[in-house]
Amino acid sequence: MSFFDSFFGRNKPTADVAKNRLKIMLAHERASCKLPYMDDLRNDLIAVIRKYTKVEDVKITSQTNQNLELLEVEVILGK
Amino acid sequence: MGIVITVTSGKGGVGKSTTTANLAVGLANLGKKVVAIDFDIGLRNLDMILGLENRIVYDVVDVMEGRCNLAQALINDKKSKTLYFLPASQTKDKDILNKDKVKALIENLKESFDIVMIDSPAGIESGFEHSIFLADRALIVSTPDVSSVRDADRVIGIIDAKSERAKNGLEVEKHIIINRIKPEMVEAGNMLSVEDVLSILALPLIGIVPDDEDIITSTNTGSPIVNKDKSLSAEAYRNIARRILGEEVEFLDIRAKKGLMATLKGIFK
Repeated sequence: MSFFDSFFGRNKPTADVAKNRLKIMLAHERASCKLPYMDDLRNDLIAVIRKYTKVEDVKITSQTNQNLELLEVEVILGK
Repeated sequence: MGIVITVTSGKGGVGKSTTTANLAVGLANLGKKVVAIDFDIGLRNLDMILGLENRIVYDVVDVMEGRCNLAQALINDKKSKTLYFLPASQTKDKDILNKDKVKALIENLKESFDIVMIDSPAGIESGFEHSIFLADRALIVSTPDVSSVRDADRVIGIIDAKSERAKNGLEVEKHIIINRIKPEMVEAGNMLSVEDVLSILALPLIGIVPDDEDIITSTNTGSPIVNKDKSLSAEAYRNIARRILGEEVEFLDIRAKKGLMATLKGIFK
């Protein structure tokens, strides 16, 4: 912020805030939609697991760890 | 055999149709035989931007449904003789397009045109999917604001999943167009800069179009700004057209012109 801006009580520049918010948001969103078949896979898994148990939800997360791609499937069976 | 270029963005209102119109005219002015197709079924708009709304008899759905032949539906621009236009249908049924018919139409057009330019609808629904399905190249239009960049990122992520080219092991060539940038706001640190947007979207840049009130007046009259001589945004569109054809053109210097106030402020910095 320049002297001129602070002298007249102007606000701080906001572009950096926008950039950081976007970066954080997109890092999160990209991780969840990187695999195009994610939704179908999830639905199929739920269908299969429902045959045997009363499943409430299946959480699938994908992670990239160095050069290893990991798919984590968490099956929540209820209490 | 022509190539298919789809102009898309995810978010609406960022200037897809304006970009499509200006690039189609720009490419035609460079001697290419171009057809611009409006794929925004139900919400026809490209016709007015091109100034061709009074000449529409048939539309893209009429062609696909066989109610007329292609030559009857194509409108030839009077100013740019090698530019043709195929309007969107005004039907309320936006799911009327189907893959096979889209494919037949595009393959047909590719045989007689150098460039098939598709104006994609906003969103990521079926209309978008049809417009990207046969694309060889995609131009992603984004303004420097968070919603537009976020939606552009999402669209980039699904282009390949929806494209036939990607199914055949090839990639859709993707480029970014940054639209409506305001240099004085970027300099004040209050607008994402070109570098900021590119660092987030991680794709090559093909054009920067400055925010320009003349674009509104040229849309008012239906005469695309790309034909105007002394205009920075027109120059920007002409440059993008040349870059599309593989020419290396330097990016315009669109830094803010410093007025008296800005010079004064500079002294106190």
